[in-house]
Amino acid sequence: MSAFDFFRPTRRTVLAGAAALGGTLALGTPAVRAAGDTKTLRIAGGAADGPNSTLDPALTVGSGANQARLTLVYERLVTLDESFSPKPQLAESWSTNDVGDVWTFKLRPNVTFHDGSPFTAKDVLFTFNRILDPALGSRAVTVLAAIDPAKIRAVDDHTVEFTLRQPVVEFPLQLTHRIASIVRQGQTTEQLKTAGIGTGPFKVERFVPGEDPSIFLRHPGYWQPGKPGVDRVEVRTIPEEAARIAALSYGQVDIVLELPLVGLQRLESDANVNVDTTRSSRWFGFAAFSDTPPFDDVRVRQALKLAANREQLLRAVTGGRGVVANDLPVGPWQKFALQTEQRKYDIAAAKKLLAEAGHPNGIDVDLHTFQGTGLSELAAAYKAQAEPAGIRINIVTSPAADFWTNVWLKKPFVTTSWDATTVDDALTLSFLSNSKWNESHWYNKAYDALIAEARLTVNEEKRAEILARAQALLRDDSGTVIPFFVDTISGSRKAVKGWKRHPKLESQDFTGITIDG
Amino acid sequence: MAEAVRRLDEMNPLLWLVLRRVLLSFVSFLVVSVIIFTAVDILPGDTAQRALGREATAESVAILRSEMRLSDPAIVRYGRWLGDFVSGDLGTSMVSKRPVADYLVPPLRHTLLLGAIVLAVHIPLSLFLGLVCALTRDTPLDLGLSALVLVAMSVPDFVVGIFLIVVFSVELGWFPPLALIDQATSWTDMLYMLTLPILALNAAMTAYVVRQTRDSMIEVLNSDFVRVARLRGLPPLQIVLAHALPSALGPAINAIALNAAWLVGGIVVIEAVFNYPGLGRLLVEGVRFHDVPIIQAIALILSGTHIALNLAADIGTTLLNPKLRTRSS
Repeated sequence: MSAFDFFRPTRRTVLAGAAALGGTLALGTPAVRAAGDTKTLRIAGGAADGPNSTLDPALTVGSGANQARLTLVYERLVTLDESFSPKPQLAESWSTNDVGDVWTFKLRPNVTFHDGSPFTAKDVLFTFNRILDPALGSRAVTVLAAIDPAKIRAVDDHTVEFTLRQPVVEFPLQLTHRIASIVRQGQTTEQLKTAGIGTGPFKVERFVPGEDPSIFLRHPGYWQPGKPGVDRVEVRTIPEEAARIAALSYGQVDIVLELPLVGLQRLESDANVNVDTTRSSRWFGFAAFSDTPPFDDVRVRQALKLAANREQLLRAVTGGRGVVANDLPVGPWQKFALQTEQRKYDIAAAKKLLAEAGHPNGIDVDLHTFQGTGLSELAAAYKAQAEPAGIRINIVTSPAADFWTNVWLKKPFVTTSWDATTVDDALTLSFLSNSKWNESHWYNKAYDALIAEARLTVNEEKRAEILARAQALLRDDSGTVIPFFVDTISGSRKAVKGWKRHPKLESQDFTGITIDG
Repeated sequence: MAEAVRRLDEMNPLLWLVLRRVLLSFVSFLVVSVIIFTAVDILPGDTAQRALGREATAESVAILRSEMRLSDPAIVRYGRWLGDFVSGDLGTSMVSKRPVADYLVPPLRHTLLLGAIVLAVHIPLSLFLGLVCALTRDTPLDLGLSALVLVAMSVPDFVVGIFLIVVFSVELGWFPPLALIDQATSWTDMLYMLTLPILALNAAMTAYVVRQTRDSMIEVLNSDFVRVARLRGLPPLQIVLAHALPSALGPAINAIALNAAWLVGGIVVIEAVFNYPGLGRLLVEGVRFHDVPIIQAIALILSGTHIALNLAADIGTTLLNPKLRTRSS
């Protein structure tokens, strides 16, 4: 019988595993669920954030689940409304001087942290001094570069004054970034990573990076009366789209933060599920190096823009979930967006421009892209549209994991996608001469000067006029083709009430959600 | 040296054989570790850059590079890595700075649990089916079962998994599509959630054992000693279970052990399909975030288990089969 010895360890393993698993389960849901009337909201994000994930706002990563967790636990002085205007959260109001370099925020009184301590100006000071310390390695150092940490002042317990290094006329918008989430003073980075204390509607019950789900419990002292509407939140990630859809449809989760743009017919006909569409400022497009032949001639760049049939591209890539764009990165519904004549698909004009630029027989170019998010579909559809204009595209597909590190910013013609929030971000992150992410190698001094001027113009009317000139320049001269904006799709069970996906997950408000039954 | 070999020769040949197998396995483990190390090492791009991603600053990349001592020669890093690994230090996650071992424990537990349940179903099920096929040899039942298990084996396991989800949870709504075992309220609830992954993995493994059992059973049933047993008038059931089956088990056990070794890899894929919180999912996430220490640790654990199970299969078969106990085998 010696051959069976081999299996004995396996049996033992069953028992060990059983005991171990029993332990895990005891920690988890059953105890709480047994309480009967406990309302648990189960949220599923897409991409797993794995070992990377953290509850430390300063070191936050971009995954949907991670952003959702942060908005459960923390709040900011200012948050974004759905059309990207600043909205008070922990600050009740704010004001600036006539230059825009001193900003004063009135803090909301009677707000308490999860541990019961009151929220005051000291916590604001602690938060900003911490995230702006270069030793921490937070991206805040770049995102909030205008703030001089030495010149943040607590005027009184509930008033904070920021004196900026240079005027920032839209400063409150900068504070809506999740990096600027307010944490209770005195917490260490180690604590914040897995058990951060904030003022948000839920406090951390269990969070282990890379382990699903993370669990959050209602903050009994939350400042908004009657909120939040559920007792407990579970956040997990389901990387496979099909699996995420199946889980929502079967009822294993209540809210799915991210759904694909296509292949939703079945879910839409599901009587127990709502599919929710939110317009967003995320655009898909192409970036061509404006200093590299053949794109160094503005006529070639314009030909690229004329060779795009935008309606068709939108349908091919998103099934029509989105809006056509006009080679401008600012959503047409946003404040300061340039409203101008829509650029149309015009093969003849594109051909003529190419000929004028010295390419009567057209051009042959490599377009770099990757599989997975719709960009390769965009490349394929555009290739077919541009062909008649004499723009012969050879599509080069890289592995998704490699694209953003080894191809993007390195190859002269790539597919790209941006999801900026503020008008300033949309117009500068990848378009200023000195932008780190100047993916189209567009070096336009006039544009840089206009943006610099707009940034100093407190008067909104004047600013709108300057930004309009900048956008006109961008639209006609840059090496970036922006054919459309894509919607953000999410889904929820019908029993979930009060769910509306914010275009920016980092500004999502989960406080108003309730569950029927 | 010659003396040592002669002395070894005089040892119990069985012990010598086992020892040789163990040594060989150890060598393959070393080779595999070299492959794992170099495969991850020669991936294009800078490891630190990949770990930190699109928005990393040059300073943070430089810091991570020096922390990981990436500028040391590969052979030095390999030696350090394997040495640490063997002494129980699995390294530290590159992105989170948390010990890899902390990440491994809960998923490893989950994977072992799923693997154990799968085998607990697999062994009796496939032996039983093999026996049925042998006893109903060449009847429609035999042919039908054989065809079914072969088809199930030929389809890749993740396709079977997705097929099961589509049919049994999306269309019929009988079983949950994902194995979110943290939501289970009891043991039965958990087994219910695991039904589809267990089925998917069994689909891939059954054929091999069924065929082995069937063939060796048929061979044994035709052998002289079974004929003698029949002539002596023993009851048929007793002949099959007490005499024929034990002799026919050898190849089947070998096949089961090889299946168990295969399971180590197959389970990784199925975990990803069913969102089961095991090693497979952790591995996929490790790859996604280029967290090299996690990838290396899991790859080494999985291949180590694979080698160990193969070794067990070898030794088990040898012990069970006197014919193989010679040194020339």
